[in-house]
Amino acid sequence: MAATGIRLEGISRIFEARGKRTEALKDVSLSTEPGSFTALIGPSGCGKSTILRLCLGLDMPDAGTLTVDGLVPTEATKQGLTGVAFQDAALLPWRNVEANIALPLDVLGRKLSDYRPRIAELIRLVGLEGFEKSLPGELSGGMRQRVAIARALVTKPDVLFLDEPFGALDQILRRQMNIELQRIWMETRATTLLVTHGIDEAVFLADRVVVMASRPGRIAKIIEIDLPRPRHPALFNEEHFHALEREVSEALDGH
Amino acid sequence: MGIRSMLSRVRPLINLLILMAIWEVAGQLKLVADGALPAPSAILLRLLTDWSDYPNHIGATLYGAGAGFLIGNLVAVALGTLFALYPVTARLARGMNVAIFALPPIAISPILVLTLNEMAPRIVLAAIGCYFVTMTSTVVGLTQADPRAIDLVRAYGGNKWQALWLVRMRSALPTILSGLRIAAPNAVLGSILAEFGGGGRWGLGVYLLGSLGRAEPDRLWGIGLVATAIAALAYFAFAALGARLLKGTEAVTVPSALPHSGDVTRPLWQRVLILLGSIALPFALWWALLAALRVPAMIAKTPPGLFDYLFVLPSAAAAQVKLLAALAQTLPMTLIGMAAGLALAFLLALTSQVRPGIVRALLPVALVTQTMPLVALTPLLVLMLGRGPAVILWITISVTFFPAFVTMAQGLLLVPRAALDVPRAYGASLFTQLRLVSVPASLPYLFAATRLTAPRALLGVMIAEWLATGTGLGNLLNQSRGYLDYGMIWAVAVVSVLISVFFYQVVVVIERRTLSRLGMAVAD
Repeated sequence: MAATGIRLEGISRIFEARGKRTEALKDVSLSTEPGSFTALIGPSGCGKSTILRLCLGLDMPDAGTLTVDGLVPTEATKQGLTGVAFQDAALLPWRNVEANIALPLDVLGRKLSDYRPRIAELIRLVGLEGFEKSLPGELSGGMRQRVAIARALVTKPDVLFLDEPFGALDQILRRQMNIELQRIWMETRATTLLVTHGIDEAVFLADRVVVMASRPGRIAKIIEIDLPRPRHPALFNEEHFHALEREVSEALDGH
Repeated sequence: MGIRSMLSRVRPLINLLILMAIWEVAGQLKLVADGALPAPSAILLRLLTDWSDYPNHIGATLYGAGAGFLIGNLVAVALGTLFALYPVTARLARGMNVAIFALPPIAISPILVLTLNEMAPRIVLAAIGCYFVTMTSTVVGLTQADPRAIDLVRAYGGNKWQALWLVRMRSALPTILSGLRIAAPNAVLGSILAEFGGGGRWGLGVYLLGSLGRAEPDRLWGIGLVATAIAALAYFAFAALGARLLKGTEAVTVPSALPHSGDVTRPLWQRVLILLGSIALPFALWWALLAALRVPAMIAKTPPGLFDYLFVLPSAAAAQVKLLAALAQTLPMTLIGMAAGLALAFLLALTSQVRPGIVRALLPVALVTQTMPLVALTPLLVLMLGRGPAVILWITISVTFFPAFVTMAQGLLLVPRAALDVPRAYGASLFTQLRLVSVPASLPYLFAATRLTAPRALLGVMIAEWLATGTGLGNLLNQSRGYLDYGMIWAVAVVSVLISVFFYQVVVVIERRTLSRLGMAVAD
């Protein structure tokens, strides 16, 4: 399979609500290498979530072209090449952990029995053994988020989209989840696009941090993160890490 | 369990026992209206001696109610799904839906008896009683499904139908079930109302009507209680089913994303076309149904037939006079009754804010009255209150008060604690808190209660007029039935539906204006 990552060329998206025109995205171009980890960071309303929705075929651009693994988004999603985790887990409250992880298989019409071992493996990977039959209501916030990550990985996606997956978690839990996410990503090596609000999260996880600006939504700066992998928690206290954080922060302020 | 919590659990039971004891004493001593309120023991004894009559009557009512419940809800869920998936259809069907909601069943029951035969009128009226509640809860349930979960299905290339099947249907289930819970007693009520319209030997409505002239209050009470018990059982059966099915599957997080705005801005001519279509649809359906049923033209009036009767035929002038005279009696009573019912409900809802114990004590009563087939009690009220305007007012208040109270009390309960904390922190009195926060915050529910009340008030007045006072539209309907004046039966039915729709629409317009100015959303 010709894995070509995510490609956006001259993407524009305009929303009109009650007579007000908002340029959510204006002439945005971006391409990511297969197997790379890209973080999108920016102020609220800069269009970072819109990019993700466009990549998933949930929304259509007003101008420009967009491909995921060389296919138009709706085609890529139908073939099961993509995986997604939204902010706030979005689990179905009436399905237990296993069944929630299996939801994409139901949508794609794949045979559940072929994926039993895969689901068990994912549950182990995200550390939820023993909770296979639990309902989301019986899990903690962090556990629910891990179910969402496992669900995003169930189809062995080529391309993984994460929309502030840890946005609803506290700082301590978030750090732990970042470390786990890196471990999981290094095992799967899917092309990943992470939308986030957290500067430390972006620097810790990504190969490249794409800083966006709003009104109109556009790319302000792209910062390469040259930290070697695997990255360890101790990194959070290193001077080089802080310097990179400062660089992202300054880009966010418009420098 | 502590003594205190034990006490609070059995408290309603104790209240009930006290009430029964007072009732027993009052009945034994013939304190109320010269024995019109018999003691519970007397009613029970009578029930036992009459028991051999009951199975056939109960069976017939249950059959009509059951079949109507099934058909009405199937149609409601199917159409509700259509409306939720294609919002244009919802806008087109708006006129039909409001008409069905506002329809006073008593007005169309004679028409149904004329145009259909045997059990069909009961089934139709029971089905109509179910339709609106279940349809609305289906639409609300389906459209309020977690938008993130729907996104997730779409993000894997899932289509509309997969989203419906995998997410929306299941997440709408609790809402639909709570709709069915209210639809179940409505079906019983619908069947009994159709039985009032005539036809058939069996049914609790038939039994009640037959026993009306015989001055046997204990038997009337017995029939009323049995009817109430059946309706209440239906209500609680669905409540229990809901609680069982839904255990542990409530949503665990609140959606943080805004729902997708489905309202595409259409050009003006399209909106006008949709509006006209929604007005025309009920009339077209009326026409089409008559054509499909092949009812003789003398009995079944089509829209032009009715127009002829009221405006063209030689008898038109006389008909107009009769209709207007009846309207002049019915409309003021409806407005007064509605205002009184709403005011009482509002006062009690406010009081319940100050003394929450009142809600807890009243809620079981409210639940029972919600399930009570009000017609079954009308004859009893006549016995107690006589045949003057007082009985109209009493019946109208009693049919409007509890639904309005429950809706308003719910609205007041939903006022966020944090919003009340701000005035409280500045030492505001309870009254100031109510004025500044509680009442404005629960405004959507106030309007919802008023919307709910308007058609019910007309229904209450017409029932009272029919069965008690012999005045107004209710009486005109009953008389025309006796004179076989088919044109007038249709005229009264159509006029009463139009009045209800008009009231409903007036409330909706004021509601939209007020709430949009305050930036609030409409409560269902």
